[in-house]
Amino acid sequence: MELTELTRSLSGLPGPSGFEEPVWRWIGDYLRPVADEVKTDALGNMIALKRCGKPGAKTVLLDAHMDEIGFVVTGIQDGFLRFGMLGGVDQRMLPAREVLVLSDPPLFGVIDVLPPHVLTAEEKKHAFEADKLCIDVGLSQQQAEQQVPLGTPVVYANSFTQLGENQLCGKALDDRACAAIIIKAFERLCAQELNADVYCLVSTQEEVGHRGATVAAWNIQPDVALVVDVTHGKTPDGQDAPCVCGKGAAIGIGPNMNAALTKELFALAKERGITHQTEVVPGGNSGTNAHAIQVARTGVVTALISLPLKYMHTPVEVVCREDMDAIVELLAAYVESMEV
Amino acid sequence: MLDTMETLCCLSGVTGGEDEVRDYILERAMPHADEIKTDPLGNLMVFKKGARTPDRRVMLCAHMDEVGLIITNITPDGFLHFDQAGGIDRRVLLGKQVFIGPERVPGVIGCKAVHMTTAEQRKNVPAMGEMFIDIGADSREQAQNVIALGDLAAFSDTIVRFGDGFIKAKAIDDRAGCAVMLELLESDLPCDCWFAFTVQEEVGTRGATVAARSIQPEVVLVLEGTTAADVPGGDRENPVCCLGKGVVIPFMDRGTIYDRTLFKTLCRLADENGIAWQTKTRIAGGTDGSAFQRGCAGAQVAAVSVPVRNIHSPSSIAKVQECEDQYRMARLFLEEMAK
Repeated sequence: MELTELTRSLSGLPGPSGFEEPVWRWIGDYLRPVADEVKTDALGNMIALKRCGKPGAKTVLLDAHMDEIGFVVTGIQDGFLRFGMLGGVDQRMLPAREVLVLSDPPLFGVIDVLPPHVLTAEEKKHAFEADKLCIDVGLSQQQAEQQVPLGTPVVYANSFTQLGENQLCGKALDDRACAAIIIKAFERLCAQELNADVYCLVSTQEEVGHRGATVAAWNIQPDVALVVDVTHGKTPDGQDAPCVCGKGAAIGIGPNMNAALTKELFALAKERGITHQTEVVPGGNSGTNAHAIQVARTGVVTALISLPLKYMHTPVEVVCREDMDAIVELLAAYVESMEV
Repeated sequence: MLDTMETLCCLSGVTGGEDEVRDYILERAMPHADEIKTDPLGNLMVFKKGARTPDRRVMLCAHMDEVGLIITNITPDGFLHFDQAGGIDRRVLLGKQVFIGPERVPGVIGCKAVHMTTAEQRKNVPAMGEMFIDIGADSREQAQNVIALGDLAAFSDTIVRFGDGFIKAKAIDDRAGCAVMLELLESDLPCDCWFAFTVQEEVGTRGATVAARSIQPEVVLVLEGTTAADVPGGDRENPVCCLGKGVVIPFMDRGTIYDRTLFKTLCRLADENGIAWQTKTRIAGGTDGSAFQRGCAGAQVAAVSVPVRNIHSPSSIAKVQECEDQYRMARLFLEEMAK
């Protein structure tokens, strides 16, 4: 599948943290024909392997997470659904928001708001508070109780669009755009002779603390890990963002990343003419799966390559297609350049 | 009836730019009309003869315009600033998709990531003047290739039927009323009637003000979408009106004290015909009725409205049965006028 189409498909799948099954099933089906082995584990991580068949070859891991932020139904009041958060939701995105309630069958819903006519000027100054909002699924109390068990997950409704000539917009691009990137890189690597065994890990529960990657890295025990996640791209109101959409792969520098590997990636990007930028990540926690993978088992040589994204954790996340191409290129180039 | 409403809701008709809606209605109304008038503001007024000619000039009215945004500035790096066209609570805008101008250029109303905000910022919502639309342009020049200042932006037009007979769409206020009138125009009428499809209701019943003078109606029934606050968090004792409790026959709103005789007639017609109805329990909102009531020598005015949740937002919700009942009420009203 072409990269934009793959991103569109992945963006549309419902899979908030802890409820990723539709996503790993889809990705498993997609990768089975190309990989030597495809498996999942107790947390739902989707792990595909391509063996190089050479004795003593190193193991390299490509990681991106499949989970998205979302909600979970915690109660029903007069037929309206009360909800809690799965991951870092911005409550200002919720008013008049369309969602998909992942009951069986799934239900369309809207997060209702009170009309301005009944609110005071003072009330209108502040954001609607998330814990006072409810999802309207157009059902009575009895109907809702029958159709929506407590604990049912909820995601933003799918709304993938292309913006301008080369930007993609939709929900869950954090981190499905990066999942699409590592899948494309993995597909390309599967079609050639390599000097390393390659794992493609699409991990779960990143948004609630890198939980999927923690166990997958223990299980895989890679020599080298290339973690691909999103980072903030500049916007008119966010000039302090670390990166810029359209300026290429953001290679992370900081204690969470192996210095030699990072240096190697910069050199490779330069040599191959791959558009790239620098993201300085101070502190030991990049806020990505690199945090968990770096300290897996007895330690992993880890790098972080980020895709700049505007409006993170909103239903209208925006990425630049050219940046995605640059990361695919960089990942593949790195693995291709590995020696036994 | 519902198909017509869905088609109408998908069209762009932000206040001051109702052309697409008017063109569509005109094309469908043309074969059934005995007289058609437009005016400098863009109102569409259609007359159709019925079985009887009543003593008084009867008119039905619905507005074609919807609330939306108007582009006021393009930043050097290609983002669009905007203001509201019609009354919008800015808090429903963040993270929404819009379609801008006649070419329907897609854009989104962005907002810096929650990770980059302070706890205080998350409790507040930026002023509309600080918000912007991202159309994926890299520069002002690139944006100017597809966008001009003054372009109107409409909310995303996906329609969903869901739950126990509900429909979600933008612009239900007041394409619901437009759909009722269009369906009536395509049927045989009990009496002669003018149909006023008005413009600029959302910015102060501007279209109706002049339409009243063109037609000089004596009896007017306004077909509207009206605010429902029947959601958790609201005043349970006073939700204004509720979806599922029937069409709304208002006695009064902020613009109009509706004609008492007509109000009672409508209530009786609903009761006699088993149509569920309610009245508004709060004096809120307004309709084109105010302009018609006080236009020229005055008119008797009444209204039948569909309750709408999340009104003036991209995701307004109505009950399908109530949209259909609005049609039944309008027809019963015309039958009554024929007597």
